[in-house]
Amino acid sequence: MGVMVGKPAPDFTAKAYHNGKEKEVKLADYRGKWVMLCFYPADFTCV
Amino acid sequence: MDSNFSHKVWQEIELSKMVKEGIPFPMIADPGGKIGTLYGVYDDEGGVDVRGRFLIDPNGVLQAMEVLTPPVGRNVMEVLRQLKAFQHHQKTGELMPSGWQPGKPTLPPGTEALKRAGHIWEIWKVENAF
Repeated sequence: MGVMVGKPAPDFTAKAYHNGKEKEVKLADYRGKWVMLCFYPADFTCV
Repeated sequence: MDSNFSHKVWQEIELSKMVKEGIPFPMIADPGGKIGTLYGVYDDEGGVDVRGRFLIDPNGVLQAMEVLTPPVGRNVMEVLRQLKAFQHHQKTGELMPSGWQPGKPTLPPGTEALKRAGHIWEIWKVENAF
């Protein structure tokens, strides 16, 4: 398992918090748009 | 990593003080680091996703990535520079040399110096990197 530039980004479905509500997010639903996907260790981390 | 309840609390207590109306994009919960594992950024010893950033194009193809350990934050301007560079390349087929910024010269296909190896020095100078 791993990711590689120039190859399809692995798809996923997840619950997300957005505009005060919980909703489901599926990466494939963003076809046609650029996506920046960011990971961070935890909420309230400081950098 | 954190739950959507935690995202909500962070948004209400802190982020809404930095960004009016709060963060405008979805904040995903990644319990157990499943998505982090897919992208190779889950640290199972620490039990956290490290600071990974992935730029995915409109066809779902991964174009760029950057991964940092937790103490150092990312640079939004660099992400925007890469985004503009990939968008310009996909639109025009031009190549984006090292140090490219919007407004700086690109390398259009057909450029003389690209046709034979060893001639880029004629058009690209070290100053272009900065």
